[in-house]
Formats: sequence, structure tokens, C-alpha cells
Amino acid sequence: MSTPAIELKGLTKVYGEGALALQVLKGIDLTVPQGEFMMLVGPSGSGKTTLLSILGCVLSPSGGEGRLFGQPLHGRKERDLPAMRLSYIGFIFQGHNLMPSLTAEQNVAFPLELRGYTHRAALAEARTTLDAVGLADKLGRRPEELSGGQRQRVAVARAIAGRPPLILADEPTASLDAESGAQVSSLLKKLAVERGHTVMVVTHDNRIFHLADRIVNIEDGQLKQGEAA
Amino acid sequence: MTKLTQPTFAQPLTGRAGFFGRWRTMAGIALKMMFHEKLKLAGTLFGVVFAVVLGNFQSGTFLALLGKNRMFVENAKVDIWITPPGTRQFQGGKPLTDAQLNRARATEGVAWAEPLVLQTAQVQLPNGGSEPVSVVGARAPRYVGGPWNMVRGATTDLDQPNAMFFEDAEREKMGGLNLGSLREVSGHKVQVVGFTWGLLPFAPAYAFAEQGLAREILKIPPDQHTFLMVGVSPGADAIAVRERLQQVLPDTRVMTRAEYLHEILVYIITATQIGLSFGISTFMGLLVGLITVALSMFSSVIDNMRQFGTLKAIGSTNTDLARLLLVQAVLYGLIGTLVGLGMVSGMVSGMRNPQLTPVLPIEAFGISAVVMVGVCILASVLALLRLRKLEPAMVFR
Repeated sequence: MSTPAIELKGLTKVYGEGALALQVLKGIDLTVPQGEFMMLVGPSGSGKTTLLSILGCVLSPSGGEGRLFGQPLHGRKERDLPAMRLSYIGFIFQGHNLMPSLTAEQNVAFPLELRGYTHRAALAEARTTLDAVGLADKLGRRPEELSGGQRQRVAVARAIAGRPPLILADEPTASLDAESGAQVSSLLKKLAVERGHTVMVVTHDNRIFHLADRIVNIEDGQLKQGEAA
Repeated sequence: MTKLTQPTFAQPLTGRAGFFGRWRTMAGIALKMMFHEKLKLAGTLFGVVFAVVLGNFQSGTFLALLGKNRMFVENAKVDIWITPPGTRQFQGGKPLTDAQLNRARATEGVAWAEPLVLQTAQVQLPNGGSEPVSVVGARAPRYVGGPWNMVRGATTDLDQPNAMFFEDAEREKMGGLNLGSLREVSGHKVQVVGFTWGLLPFAPAYAFAEQGLAREILKIPPDQHTFLMVGVSPGADAIAVRERLQQVLPDTRVMTRAEYLHEILVYIITATQIGLSFGISTFMGLLVGLITVALSMFSSVIDNMRQFGTLKAIGSTNTDLARLLLVQAVLYGLIGTLVGLGMVSGMVSGMRNPQLTPVLPIEAFGISAVVMVGVCILASVLALLRLRKLEPAMVFR
């Protein structure tokens, strides 16, 4: 059996100190096998974003253990985290977060350049990936020249380009209409299966729950029993 | 659960951009961000251009003023100047004597020594008024310290009796001077045989005459001189000759050409308020540029916080973002300098006249670029400090 994509044991996160301390994650135990398309759901303030931030290596846990593909998340120095992100993670943000000054092609290509692709190779991979998300004819368009659904598809392409093993998506359908949201989610699922990505989607959108291999509930910083989709 | 055993799972990416690759990527993003926000670009460049224009205009005017004080020493083909004691600028003092001239001529390493007379005289105008000129008396046939920048006539025209050169830019002021015009200078009738261009020191404009005529006009006896000018023998060391001259002429101040030019510069900067005044103006220009660029770059960072957060979340380091800001700062500095110097060049060309045209030496381009790039880099520090504190986790909020 391969190494789990995500392995958390008693993971905690506390913001602040002393009387002002606020424990947001209260001992999370979670194992996500490679290739799983998982959804994390829960009410506002339940700790979803904090958990996603720790898994995304943009926040350090306060206690417990966490591993991404066998690599420990805990005890890492802050300066090591960007390299972890480049190695393991593709991000899809709620508001697409594309660089407005870059074209679709450039938005997808520049993270690849940080990963060591040559400029030419990065552009080639960006074109291939944009083709995969149905935007082969929008390579030179800037985000302002694209619809909301198209922007989020560029964001999907940016996340999966180069084939990082883990995709973290934060409310990817929140800013989209129902039809675009369904299209983007289905596309993400299809590409994840085809390309072997492990995906964790944080969402409130019950219209896309059917795409999940597993749905995990989080409430008050603790995971509730998961359910199969 | 069949996926768990699939051999095609995406694997960790081990590649990393190298030093140059990261520079290239961040430079590309920096460039695109800069030119995407055109209004902000214009605002930032305005600050740099303002500083460049003000700084160069002020320093150019200072150089022009300095040039007015140094033009005679710069243009006279003299290796060593013997001046009255305490001389710090091109101005006469206690007269020098024939005995001193002869001692200079007898000094080892001196090829020749010539006297120069210089003093103000009044030109009588046809309308009854008068205008001052600085009469320079250079001795024939060598005419060291004689006219230069001549637009009409030749130096040898001064061999004619009562012949004088005047400043072309002052022809109208002198009552419509032309070649052949007759004027009375301090009671002596002279004829205009040539014109110079741009020889306007702080004192009245230079007017040149053969030394005999100049002495008559200025009533300076033949054995008294304003300056003594020395040419060193071929192969002789000017510094060594200057030291020997100073030894034999202890009641004078002896300077090489370079030393005299330096002395005038030091005098202008330290003994007058000119250096301080222009220095403060230039500093203020740079300060305004620094503040404008700093605020503009800082506000750009604040406005684009989400973009920078995304860059960090995706895998850019603080060093990468420093590269991005550095590229922007350097570009702001270079583009602003280019535009600013273009404007200054245009203004200088437009106001070209011999009275006071700011001097824009070729070095100004290099110095301005280096200074403004430095200012812009300094200005970017504020933005960088803000970015260092930026938490990439903000992109999930």
C-alpha cells in the first residue's frame, strides 16, 4: 500500500497565548489515501480554513503530527515551507486569485518556472493544461477578459499544471453560478482521476457533494464521522 | 478503493528554479505588474522624473555658475598660474611685479612666462550711458590669455592699433556693436575687430586688447601685472616647477591649472552660499522622489496584497518578492531618469544662451541613473518590509 497523501494524528492549532488563546483545531485524526477526492465540510468557524492552511503548508500546527506523502508538517522551519508547497501542492482559491497582469497562459506557467521548468517548457505545459480545461482558445486573455467560470478553470489549470500530487481547493465554486460551479467541479474531478491527483475540497456547496469519494465533517475543531458519497 | 493501488498517482515535484531562473520569473512578473497598473506607473515615474529634473537642473545651474568662475583658467593655455597671495578665485589683488616675472622666467623648468592684466573699465555708449567690461590685456605675439570662442575676427587682429574684441552676446547692450564700431573705453578710443561668444563671467563680460592698449585703458604701469602665466618646458613636471616657483616667489600664490580650478571650486562651495543653496535644492528633489516612489510602491503592495499572498502561497519566497520589488525599483529609476533627462535636455536646449545655461555633462546620465536607482531601491524597502510580514495563509481568508 502506498504512503498516504495526508496523515494527521492529534493535530492541534491554537491562536494567541494565555487567556486570549483560542484552540481552533482540537486533535484532528485523518488519513487520506493517494488519489482520493475528498471534501471537507463544516460551518463557518469550524476550523476548515485553518486545517486547509496547515495542509497547504502556509500555517504551522501547534501540536500533534501531520504528514504529507510521508513528509512531516510539524516542526518545519518557515523557510522550508515554500519548497514543500512547490513540491506537493496545487492551490485553487475561492476568488481564483489569478494575477491580473498576466495572461491565462502566463498565470499557469509561472509556478512551473518556480519549479524549475524552463520558460519555454512552462509555456508548453501551460498550453497543454489549458487545453485540458477547455481554454485552448483563451491562452492570451487576461483574467479581466474571461468569465468567472473561465477564470476558475484557469485557476484549476494553474493548480494541476506540472502534476503536483495534492490539490487543495478552497470553496472553488463559491463565486460561480450553479452551472459554472458544476462544470468546474466536474472538470476538477475528471482531471484528478485522469492525472492521479489527491484532492481536498473545502466547500459549502452541497450541489457538488456527489463528486466526492468521501466527505469529512468538521465542527468546532473536531472531525465528525465521515460518510461515503 | 482501486485508486489506492494505481501506479499513476502524481508524484512530488523535485525540480526547483535556479538562481537565474527565479530572477527571470520574478522579473517577468514585476515587469507585467508595473505596466498593468498604468496610472500607478505614471504616478511613480512622476516622482522619479521630478527628482531627476530638479536635481539635474539645480546641479546644471551650479555647474554653469562654476563654469563662469572657471572659464578663463579652463581656456587659457597655461600650465602654472602665479597669483597674488591669498587668491582663491579668478580675481586680481596686489599687483605682481616685473622682478617676480623675471625670477619666474629664470626658474628651472619654465619654458615661458607672460604677464596678464585684468581690470574693469567703462564703455561709453552712444546714448550717453556706460557699461562695464572686464578688460583683459594679453601680450603679443603669444597672446596667452587672449580671446577664445571667437565668432568674428582672429587673435592677430589685436595687433592693429586700438583694436579690441567684445562679447557677441553684449553687442546690443554696448549700443549695437559691429565689426569696425568705435567706442570709448575709460577715455580711450578703440575699434571693434572681433567678437567672442559666451565669455560672461560673474564680473562684466570679457573684452580683449593687446597688453599695451589694455595698460593704457586700465592705467596699469608696465612693471605691474595682475597675473603671471607660465608654460613648463616639454618633459618638465608641472608640480615640481610649481614648487620651485613658490620657493623663489614666496610673496605669491603659485598653482597649477588643475589646482587653480580646484581652488575656485572649493571657494564657491565653501565661501559662498551657492553650493549650500543648490545642494539643498537637489537634496529636496531627491527626497521628494524618494518619498513619492516609496509611497507609490508601498501603496501598490497594499493594493495588491492578495496577489502577493497568492505568489507566496504558490511557493515564492521572501527573497523572490524582494527580487520582484528590486526589478521594479531599478526600472522605475532607469525609466524615470531617461524621461527626466530627456526633459532637462529639452529645456537646456530651449534656453541655450550665453547668460546662464545649465550645464548637462554626459556624466549626468550615468550619475542620475545610479542615484535614482539607489533612491528607488531605498524606497522599495518599505514595501519589502510589509511583504515580509505578509502571511500566505491570508489567501484562504
